[in-house]
Amino acid sequence: MEVTLKVRRFNPEQDEKPYFAEYTLKDVEPVDRVLDLLHHVKWYIDGTLALRRSCAHGICGSDAMRINGVNMLACKALVQNLIKGERGTIQVEPMYGLKVIKDLVVDMEPFFDHYRSVMPFLVNDTIPEGGRERLQTPEQRERFDEGTKCILCAACTTSCPSYWANGTYVGPAAIVQAHRFIFDSRDEAGADRLAVLSEENGVWRCRTIFNCTTACPREIPVTQLIAEVKGEIGRR
Amino acid sequence: MQNVVKPFVSTVRGALTYRGREGQLAWFGHRLAGLGTLLFFIIHVIDTSWVFFWPEGYMHAIALYKTPAFLIGELMLGLAVLYHGLNGLRITLMDWRPSLWKYQRQMTWGTFGLTALIYAPVFVIMMGHILQIWPGIEIAAR
Repeated sequence: MEVTLKVRRFNPEQDEKPYFAEYTLKDVEPVDRVLDLLHHVKWYIDGTLALRRSCAHGICGSDAMRINGVNMLACKALVQNLIKGERGTIQVEPMYGLKVIKDLVVDMEPFFDHYRSVMPFLVNDTIPEGGRERLQTPEQRERFDEGTKCILCAACTTSCPSYWANGTYVGPAAIVQAHRFIFDSRDEAGADRLAVLSEENGVWRCRTIFNCTTACPREIPVTQLIAEVKGEIGRR
Repeated sequence: MQNVVKPFVSTVRGALTYRGREGQLAWFGHRLAGLGTLLFFIIHVIDTSWVFFWPEGYMHAIALYKTPAFLIGELMLGLAVLYHGLNGLRITLMDWRPSLWKYQRQMTWGTFGLTALIYAPVFVIMMGHILQIWPGIEIAAR
């Protein structure tokens, strides 16, 4: 296959505004991933291309970017799912809504600030019965299972129109993390998290658009979890 | 002013460049319908206030509403109110029963379909009225 890789590039130290650079890649296999193509460009064509990646197997969440207009992990995006036929174009851009540091690398700090705001850790100061383990039934564990799959790639948050409009909105990822602990039977800080999420920039900025659900590379039903948190605020 | 313009521009840019699916389309339509209806409300409040403050202006406004551009606008207003209401009910239902997320695509298309179904007779009735009073239509029909 022959693929034209269009990469949105921007180096704030040199460029006045972003531009698309095109790289023609030959002998591309249908099962190659977009990350493989980006590696090829960086290693053999233009070493100045900046991108984040780490595990390259869909676990670390480092290489989320906008591919053909949709947020996905470059390491999970197969060429055969993006191009039909023997030749075509793949467009790669940084995630929208976060400041671009260089090329495909965005400033994740605002995203992690929102993540930290919901206290993404187990809070429990009471000594468990027997002094050793905090027991949980399989049903209690199942209740927050979906939220545990999140890899903090930011694909959901940066696909959200509410986040594009207002970067102070905590965003889907932070709400998913809050859900993971709010519905954990061992946790004791649910009320504190719900207080954060019921504020102006909390869950009520969600417009039930479902971009986050379709963008999530871990197939977490993000919108459902957000709606469950909304319901929990209403009940308490 | 920048606090309003910047989010507006970034949202519109995102909505036009991000290839979201039915949900994004429904949201974009919902916003357009909402803003259109809001524009109507603002104009309506202003022209109604003219009955007291500026009666001649009110009569002029009423005459203006019978021009083609405003008649088409009225037709669009009907669609906007109907779609905004039905889509709002869909969103309410989704938030009330989160497990319905599995059917979100079907429910979105269902909302589009239901809007078209209800709007079709409304369109026929309103369009019939427009054609009756549209300037020049009678001459063209002869």
